[in-house]
Amino acid sequence: MSKFKNIKKDFPIFERDINGNKLTYLDSGATSQKPNSVIDKMTEIYKFNNANVHRGTYVLSAETTQEYESVRSKFQSFLNASESDEIIFTKGTTEALNFLANSIANKFMSEGDDIILSEIEHHANIIPWQMVAEKYKLSIKYVKVNEDFSLDLDDLSSKLSSKTKVVSIVGESNLSGMLPDIKEINNLVRANSEALLIIDGAQLVPHRKVDVQDLGIDFLVFSGHKMLGPTGIGVVWGKKELLNSLDPVYGGGDMIEEVHYDKATWAPVPHKFEAGTPPYVEAIGLGAAVDYLQDLGMSEVEKHSDELREYGRKVLLDIDGVNVIHSQETIAGCTFGMYVDGVHAADLSLMLDTHGVAVRAGHHCVQPFHRKLGIDATIRSTAYIYNDKEDIDTLKSALISSVEMLR
Amino acid sequence: MSIREKVDEYKKILDIFPNDQEKYQYLIEKAKENDSFPSELRLDNFKVNGCQSQVWLVPEEKDEKLFFNSDSDALIAKGLVTLIASIYSDEKAEDIVSNEIDLMEEFELGVILSPARRNGAYSMLKTIKEYAKKLIT
Repeated sequence: MSKFKNIKKDFPIFERDINGNKLTYLDSGATSQKPNSVIDKMTEIYKFNNANVHRGTYVLSAETTQEYESVRSKFQSFLNASESDEIIFTKGTTEALNFLANSIANKFMSEGDDIILSEIEHHANIIPWQMVAEKYKLSIKYVKVNEDFSLDLDDLSSKLSSKTKVVSIVGESNLSGMLPDIKEINNLVRANSEALLIIDGAQLVPHRKVDVQDLGIDFLVFSGHKMLGPTGIGVVWGKKELLNSLDPVYGGGDMIEEVHYDKATWAPVPHKFEAGTPPYVEAIGLGAAVDYLQDLGMSEVEKHSDELREYGRKVLLDIDGVNVIHSQETIAGCTFGMYVDGVHAADLSLMLDTHGVAVRAGHHCVQPFHRKLGIDATIRSTAYIYNDKEDIDTLKSALISSVEMLR
Repeated sequence: MSIREKVDEYKKILDIFPNDQEKYQYLIEKAKENDSFPSELRLDNFKVNGCQSQVWLVPEEKDEKLFFNSDSDALIAKGLVTLIASIYSDEKAEDIVSNEIDLMEEFELGVILSPARRNGAYSMLKTIKEYAKKLIT
């Protein structure tokens, strides 16, 4: 029997009733729901193990420290990283990109250097670069998006040069589900520049098997809460030698080796990047989320996503009056941006809510991409492991009746 | 009619509808009835901040009373702002400022009237009170 058949039972939120309907949650691109195993693990730590990590010489602290550090090893295996020290915990993707932007610009960039992003990036992969670009007098170039929502890799090639120090690209579009060819991007970056390649994996890592060594990239960033884990925890994976060469951005407790009144030396990687008490309960909760995904098997997670995407394409692409923004490549994420001419996305999502259907409305933090497409706002359906074909059917019928009411 | 009486009137109407869907439908109808807003007044300085859609509220003073003209590019938000504008229109600025009715408490209007501070209805009310305050001072 499919591992996904009764999966909703692992997620207590699906016991809820929304406006007299069962919950059809299609907003996992914003945040995923949490299985009992993650919630229970965090409760267990608070109830029976709680003590600050890396500090106490007593049982509780030793146990929590061991649990916290073991999550790095879980990610080493999950991402096929060469060492567990290559896993740095952050608050999430946004903080991870802010950290990388500041640390890399400070260490490796000088006036006139280029940063290459793409036209479909999330604001979290634009704003930190704009901020450092202003401070260090750098230029930002944006790789064009094609009409089929794929990235124009010829345009990337033409923009790469010896001045390019960073290329930071989304691993999966949060609006169209498009999956850029990361290996090909990596080849182009290596062949035409000496830039560091960062992949924003916020939407990619929850859904697809990612092997950082096979991809050949330099950094991968992602959030825990989009992959069944709690909020307030995310990851930067980086090649060890690069992490060793970067300086910390935040100073404080736990990231030092020695402190004097006039100077300090840093602890080795990964701890030099984790100043202050880390969100260790969240990290341990995220470890339980990784266990849950590993038990399912990421290849099964991918297969499930592919099946739902194909069903979504069959069911959602031909609804009268509904325009769909979705990748035209064979393989893509199970994400569908949608808009209806003459109907506001906010109205549409409020009406869908009355059917128990939860989708996001707005610009989904990709305002420049919306502007490029000439649209103010969209609604977005993103499915995850607990969704099934019935959820897509519910979305379709709710969409049809909502559009009818709003026109 | 006083602000209190108008709120009670709308409460009675909204209570007739058994669910959010029908309440939203009522707001959509209110929005469609409100077709008097001149498009040239869709100006940034009349925009209400903090709404998911674009909402405009334009005050007008007549015979020592305030009137509000309203618009939105989304129907449900337009219905809501039309309703709120009609409650506070034809009232003295002092009465608007001193009125302490909490619409979020009074009306059951699903997620659009949830008592979150960063919520559209909250911003609409704040805008109306600010206009009224400016007239007094």
